[in-house]
Amino acid sequence: MGSIKRISKELTELTESPPEGIMVELADESNVYEWRVKMDGPEGSPFHNGKFLVKLSLPTEYPFKPPTVSFATKIYHPNVTNDEKGSMCLGMLRADEWKPSSKIAAVLQFARQLLAEPMPDDAVEGRIAEQYKNDRTRYEEVAREWTRKYAC
Amino acid sequence: MSASVTASTSLPDSPRPSRLRRFSQLRTYTQNLSSLPGQSYRHSLSSRIPWRSSASDSVSPPTNSTAPPCPEPDHPPLSRYTSAPAPSYGFAELNSQVSSTESAASTPSTSTPSNNVTRTPNSMARLRSSSAVHRPPPRTLERATNSQESTPSPEPAAVQNNVIQPTSAPAEGQETPSKPDTKATIRFFPYQDSLQSSRPSLPFVPIARTLPSESCVIRVGRYSERDGIPPPNPTEPSDAPVGFKSKVVSRKHCEFLYVNGQWHIKDVGSSSGTFLNHMRLSQPNMVSRLYSIKDGDIVQLGIDFRGGEEMIFRCVRIRIECNRSWQQQPNEFNKNTESLIKNLGKGETSDYSGCRECSICLGSVLRPYQCLFMAACAHVWHYKCISRLLHSPDYPMFQCPNCRAFTDLSAEVDDSNDSEEKRDKEPTEDRTTNNSGEQLETEGPSVVETNSLEGPSDQLEDLAEEHLVNNVENLHLQDDQQTDDTRSTASPAPNSSTDNLARSATINIPGWQPTQPLSVPSGRQSQLRTDTPVRSETSDDNPLTPRNDSGPLAFDGRAGMP
Repeated sequence: MGSIKRISKELTELTESPPEGIMVELADESNVYEWRVKMDGPEGSPFHNGKFLVKLSLPTEYPFKPPTVSFATKIYHPNVTNDEKGSMCLGMLRADEWKPSSKIAAVLQFARQLLAEPMPDDAVEGRIAEQYKNDRTRYEEVAREWTRKYAC
Repeated sequence: MSASVTASTSLPDSPRPSRLRRFSQLRTYTQNLSSLPGQSYRHSLSSRIPWRSSASDSVSPPTNSTAPPCPEPDHPPLSRYTSAPAPSYGFAELNSQVSSTESAASTPSTSTPSNNVTRTPNSMARLRSSSAVHRPPPRTLERATNSQESTPSPEPAAVQNNVIQPTSAPAEGQETPSKPDTKATIRFFPYQDSLQSSRPSLPFVPIARTLPSESCVIRVGRYSERDGIPPPNPTEPSDAPVGFKSKVVSRKHCEFLYVNGQWHIKDVGSSSGTFLNHMRLSQPNMVSRLYSIKDGDIVQLGIDFRGGEEMIFRCVRIRIECNRSWQQQPNEFNKNTESLIKNLGKGETSDYSGCRECSICLGSVLRPYQCLFMAACAHVWHYKCISRLLHSPDYPMFQCPNCRAFTDLSAEVDDSNDSEEKRDKEPTEDRTTNNSGEQLETEGPSVVETNSLEGPSDQLEDLAEEHLVNNVENLHLQDDQQTDDTRSTASPAPNSSTDNLARSATINIPGWQPTQPLSVPSGRQSQLRTDTPVRSETSDDNPLTPRNDSGPLAFDGRAGMP
């Protein structure tokens, strides 16, 4: 299994020098395909001071197939589904956009960046996207409230 | 090779003084010797043969007259080409002979009777000459270009002047890698829509086109037997129309244009539509406006008819690849990769910028003793890691997972870059012997361009001949020595003769294109000399032919002994 080698390599890299605001660990030490990521809400965003639990699952075909990212913590965000799955839509994770040369670190950093700058045109929650575009203050209010409620 | 022999024996001023005859013998000798036949052949061609007057008349043009003229008569380069007089064809034909012997020239279509195709040998040879020869011999080149781009005028001087214009661009991007390649290239790859579980689109061989000039248009339509099969991947600039064997493609379907440095597509009134990234460009039978396209765009021609059950009713989906010429030329990245590969296992893993890790397993590709795969874009992976993508359902199409460049893994091996590689290496490996040879060659073009064919260059040639005759004498001596020594391993003797040649190469004769042995790396040269040369059998008093008194089967070294 070549993928295990790569995954453990990436895991080692990420644990040794974690990117800002991101902490990774395996959900289960015996399974390298399921990661638990603790993500700090980026400063300047309504998610600041929140700690979000993100699940990253890697397919066995990784790196030929993209990983999936989902928020275990509820979050008010146009690009994260507002259900128990909390799946996040990332452009780079779409099957036809994914490159094997992309690394998990890049995926996570991109995900965190998305918290700071939502992409309403690529949204999975149309209502939140609408609000983000038209009524930013209200959006930030709700997002902050949710962060306080669920992510602290 | 027969071409070259005739070339040198059919000189018009044939009754030559014996020393000149020996010169020509030397030439045939070196030609026979050389493993790069095109090179010396070309030299002899360019330097000796007054083509326009003698040879071209005797060589009949290829069957161009039977070719149907290309659909649009207002097409400038083509029509100019058809009006080009015989000489160019004669030249082209001879060249095509050469290139077909040189390497099984990869275009299978040299004999196809279509306008576009008859061009192939000509400029293919031109390309070949520019690459096979270390520096392109300007005259040959220019004559080829000239015949293509303007009507050649009878007097040589004018021809030479004509040619200095930059359009002749002797070696696109080869001689001067710094010069950007201005030619517009576009490639079409079959695309299978992976998202919708739709039926597969029409399979086709990847198609590449490089526009001869910016005003050219690539017409796309239904394939028709009458037009013949345009070469899918011509090695030289071509705007040959592109045909697809599908009934949902109109005869005139769409066109690709290169305007202001940008590729565009235009529907020219197709009935079943042209789609750019799923958007239809125009109503049925209506001409659309220009739409700009970029690398990675998907163009669909027509819509599946009757569910696309039959191949002939399938739509065509094309993935566009354009603006990638930077990747195909020497650039920092692929040069780095080259040196990386050269230094594999030598412990010099230091400063290779760019990714030196396999992007799939993130391990190093620098460690020796592992199987690697390098794509055309110069990205490297472990073979084990990448093999999944190589042996995919799309094989032989391979998409680089790093840069998404498509490669046809079944494409013919293009050996035209070998010389470039050689040229890159040469300065380092061969500096001692070849320094002034290099110089001489670099100044070759300018000198020759400003000189007319007759006159001064003749003198120069005389000079050169004299010089070469000296070489012949030396060779003669060396040869005797060598044949004497043949039973002992022949390596020492050739070295001395190599030195000899190399020393002679340092004598600078302006305007003289050195014959082949002067420019090959010494390693190969000595190799050539150790191999028993194929002797020229044109004359009895050939100084290079050892006497053989022991009968025809004595090849064991006794031959040269008195």
